Amino acid sequence: MNILIKLQQIDRRVIYALVVVVLAVPLIFHPAGHPTLVTPEVHRAFEVIDQIPKDKMVILSSAWGPSTESENGPQTAVLMRHMFMKGIRFGIVSWDQAGSQVTYKIGTSLEKELHKQYGVDWVHFGFKLLNEAALRGIGTDLPTTMKNDKLGKLVSRLPVMNGIKDFHNIGAVVEISASGTLEGTMIYTTQPNGLSLLYCPTAVMSVEAYKYLDSGQVKGMLNSAVGAAQYETLIGMSDVTTQASITTWALSTAHIFIIVLILLGNLGYIASKKAARRQGGEASND
Amino acid sequence: MTTSTHHGLWSILWGAVVAERHGTVLALLIAGSLLVGAGILWMLMSVPTRYRKPVVMAVTFLGGLILALEFLAGSEKWHPLTDFLPTYGNVQMVIGSFALLLGIINLFMIHGQAVSKRTKGWANSLAFFVAFFAIMMAGFVKDYATAKAVSGSADSIFTVFFEGFLMPLSSTMFSMIAFYIASAAYRAFRIRSTESALMMITASILMLGLVPAGLYLTAWLPEPLSWLRLENLSAWLLVGPNMAVQRAMAFGIAVGALAVGLRIWLSLERGSFFDRQL
Repeated sequence: MNILIKLQQIDRRVIYALVVVVLAVPLIFHPAGHPTLVTPEVHRAFEVIDQIPKDKMVILSSAWGPSTESENGPQTAVLMRHMFMKGIRFGIVSWDQAGSQVTYKIGTSLEKELHKQYGVDWVHFGFKLLNEAALRGIGTDLPTTMKNDKLGKLVSRLPVMNGIKDFHNIGAVVEISASGTLEGTMIYTTQPNGLSLLYCPTAVMSVEAYKYLDSGQVKGMLNSAVGAAQYETLIGMSDVTTQASITTWALSTAHIFIIVLILLGNLGYIASKKAARRQGGEASND
Repeated sequence: MTTSTHHGLWSILWGAVVAERHGTVLALLIAGSLLVGAGILWMLMSVPTRYRKPVVMAVTFLGGLILALEFLAGSEKWHPLTDFLPTYGNVQMVIGSFALLLGIINLFMIHGQAVSKRTKGWANSLAFFVAFFAIMMAGFVKDYATAKAVSGSADSIFTVFFEGFLMPLSSTMFSMIAFYIASAAYRAFRIRSTESALMMITASILMLGLVPAGLYLTAWLPEPLSWLRLENLSAWLLVGPNMAVQRAMAFGIAVGALAVGLRIWLSLERGSFFDRQL
């Protein structure tokens, strides 16, 4: 009984050390296994991207920085990979200054791997200040709104922008976000222009998106790194070790560990309550 | 004068204002704009409240009115305002930059005092100055140095600062949440009441239902009982109870945001005029 009671008083340093171990195992062993189950929202996101005509561009609206790279990084990478594979042009705009550098790096590394060319197959619009005018401008006049790309070149002169002017030439908008930017994109960019919107949030933010998925305002969603791993399954990468697969397994072990901790804590709580009741009973008998 | 002549003259004048400039002209324009902006702010802060109020109210109202009219009139019926939107965005960006400058001034004042007075932890304040100037200089030299060797070296230094320091430090700060969540969940999730039991069960289902390892736990359940599988239970929780609550909250927040937006637009909000109280 004493051991059980002690279970609710585990030193927090022990818990911290165990968290390190639990997270380190998948990060060291690099598991390749991807989720076999793909949720309907990931399926729908895949279908939207897969059916975009070649003459249209996809806009990746990126509102995340290095702090959430483990979640938003795999989402960005898998979407870029899919579009590179399908030959769909895309442009990425970063509403986060540090995130601009991270997303550019993801794009350039995939570009090399898949033999694509910057300015022809994709463009990075760099860091832009997030406001209503910029969000409206994506739909009304994309080249004027973005003006220069990340490298300082005039966007309108890049081959990737041939025939791309406004919402008529945009296939979909993908909101990859670590903060509450979904509504702004929805109100000012996608809804007025009838554009498809996909959402890639961090895990804690995903619960807020189901109402928009239900209403059809958001067509599909990649829920954190798990959603990215599911998307990778759909593009035929289920046996390849990726950042998404590693993060997904790290999340799995961490979640199970937290549940075990909660169970242990409650066992201790129940045991201490029983012991207290017994002591109370003995005291009244005396 | 015909309408088309008016339009042509307007385009020429507007074109001259927003035309792209480089080098010394650009630097002079930036410095001039900063001076003019600082001058306007100084003037606003030094004039008595009764003169300041109408100016701030008018600018705020006009700013809001442009967006409201543009949105309500519809882009196809109100071309001049729609065309004005990119410029509006640029103006907003410039005003936002002043806020950035205020933030930097504030940081300099706080950390400058800490360094000059050698208060506790002054070395951290010194580290702020070193980091600030180092990454700023590396960034400027990387982008603007004309000699390739110089810009190349600055680029390498910038990469070390960005990828070697900023990125891992940001990730580390965010990752620390994992430790606190594990510790807090262990301490706080006690089944003390029916409500806490419900919350714990719901949280556990969602945590396991969203990750692949959790799916294996109930994969053995036969088809008639497949609704009890963790992924199906968590999906039901998300699109059922969660969505209903989220939708109700969204309606409440939207009504509140409308009221706050209206108050700011009409300058009814406290502190709209650099005052403590209206």
